[in-house]
Amino acid sequence: MKVLVAVKRVVDYNVKVRAKADGTGADLNNVKMAINPFCEIAIEEAVRLKEAGVATEVIAVSIGDKSCQEQIRTALALGADRGIQVETDGSPEPLVVAKLLKGVIAKEEPQLVILGKQSIDGDNNQTGQMLGALTNMPQGTFASEIKVEGDKLNVTREIDGGLQTIALNLPAIVTTDLRLNEPRYASLPNIMKAKKKQLDVYTPADLGVEPSAHLTTVKVEPPAERQAGIIVESVEQLVDKLKNEAKVIS
Amino acid sequence: MNFELDEEFRKLEELVNHFVEDHLYPLESRVLEREARGEGAHITAAERETLDSVSRELGLWGLDAPEDVGGMALPGVALVAVNEAIGKSVVPYVLPPDSPNLSMLAATVTEAQRERYLAPYVAGKTISAIAISEPGAGTDPAAMATTAVLDGDEWVINGRKIWITRADVMDFAILMAVTDKEKGSRGGISAFLLDAGTPGLRIARKIPMIGGNATFELELEDCRLPVTALLGEQGKGFAPMQLRLSTRRLEMSTWCIGIAQRALDMMLEYAPQRHTFGSALSEKQTIQNWLAEAESNIHSARLMAYHTAWKLDQGQSVRREISMLKAHATEMAWTTVDRAMQCYGAMGMTKELPLQQMANEVRLMRIYDGPTEIHKWVVARDLLSNR
Repeated sequence: MKVLVAVKRVVDYNVKVRAKADGTGADLNNVKMAINPFCEIAIEEAVRLKEAGVATEVIAVSIGDKSCQEQIRTALALGADRGIQVETDGSPEPLVVAKLLKGVIAKEEPQLVILGKQSIDGDNNQTGQMLGALTNMPQGTFASEIKVEGDKLNVTREIDGGLQTIALNLPAIVTTDLRLNEPRYASLPNIMKAKKKQLDVYTPADLGVEPSAHLTTVKVEPPAERQAGIIVESVEQLVDKLKNEAKVIS
Repeated sequence: MNFELDEEFRKLEELVNHFVEDHLYPLESRVLEREARGEGAHITAAERETLDSVSRELGLWGLDAPEDVGGMALPGVALVAVNEAIGKSVVPYVLPPDSPNLSMLAATVTEAQRERYLAPYVAGKTISAIAISEPGAGTDPAAMATTAVLDGDEWVINGRKIWITRADVMDFAILMAVTDKEKGSRGGISAFLLDAGTPGLRIARKIPMIGGNATFELELEDCRLPVTALLGEQGKGFAPMQLRLSTRRLEMSTWCIGIAQRALDMMLEYAPQRHTFGSALSEKQTIQNWLAEAESNIHSARLMAYHTAWKLDQGQSVRREISMLKAHATEMAWTTVDRAMQCYGAMGMTKELPLQQMANEVRLMRIYDGPTEIHKWVVARDLLSNR
């Protein structure tokens, strides 16, 4: 079984981002970049499927300028067999990403596509679902457990009311939630080996896609700063403050 | 010109940082408690075993060891990143094997010695020490008095060695001794492989050092070694020893950069939280100057370290660079840690925080492997002789 995993280059989760002064975006100057944590979980799951003898090949795909090859190589160091970069300017919107991934799926014909449920920069949570709609493949989003049984895939999903288990016909799309697995660190020998693994570069035209933007960013600004809280001495004081200062009760 | 570390080495640095955060930091409170109880800043055998197995699994062993004995043969610039990360923690753990003896062994061993000493050392199966200093000869090796005299097919060693770390647990030591008094450091000093337990070798005393560390004094009385114990060429022990010292000084300097970076990170964490006289410490000019100076000093030391390592990798002489780096990195770490302790106030004086142990470590490194003043003298002498 061939598994395709999408990985995205994002600001490292430890970094506290700032909005640019002119409000056009986040300031990415001198900022550490990393693989999106949900994509890391997706890679880990694919590699575990391979180690279990279920998957035969794991392909990592990323969309962006040349710098995203670094994250592809991280995926290769984590255990993916080969990589694909679809070269675009900057980071396209979810619909464009989904269309490009559809093009890669047409070329590679994977049985399973694993994506992060969202990326920690845009937090859109759209690409997996859009890809499902465009390809007519069944989707299991927010997965906390997946199990391949024959040509079926059982996906346990984290939903508002608890857990839901669904069965999908393969080929299928899965998006990962945080509890699906705990990704490993790439060992040094694997980091070195990743350099030698195959990495193909496609243009959107190679995939028959014309990237067109439907979204424009109007303004990026930090959330309003909150006042520091206080600790009240007693219930009476709390009621008094709610009544007279906050004026939320009367 | 390219100031960026190669991608795989940046990833290696990240990996080592993960190792430090996930496996060394959690042990720190225990190490600090042990030191405070007077038991020395140590980790237990079980803790070491766990750390060894994790670091081995991550492929972090023998990073700079030659490939033919199972090492990764990484360049010095990669090791700068690794040692800076390792230096951040006060847990006394270095990735096996300890690099400086490795560089000296790799440069000098015979085929038989490679099998018997280097290979098990790289595999992490043995512990080594080095015996250079003597009670009357520290920085000045020309004053060395320990002698090695050839008697038939054996070397007979007599003398005293001091400030030896790990002498109590070592499997073997690299021992420096005079084989030709006339020639001194110019052709008269040789290196030997000395096994623990060799008759005539005795630990004279354990010397407790600041920060819960210890070194040892060794006594050698008619200690007989086979001719095969000679490491490298007779009378030519000084150059490989210098190479070993360069590796050690580079390593120490990068540890100091890690220590200073940790102290700065701790100040950046604490200064905005702590309010005195109506404002946060971070809003006070003195603290701001300390932060800016720490960052500038760390940055300059880091650039010096990478440049020195790069020159070493190119096989160029780094005599002046290594001395500038060792003096600058240890002194700036001393100032940075001291200011962090000042910034933390009474908290910074406790043995609950790592700052005092970081200060102890830096204090030792301002002396070990050549005091600051000697290194400045080396630089000045070098400058003056070039005029």
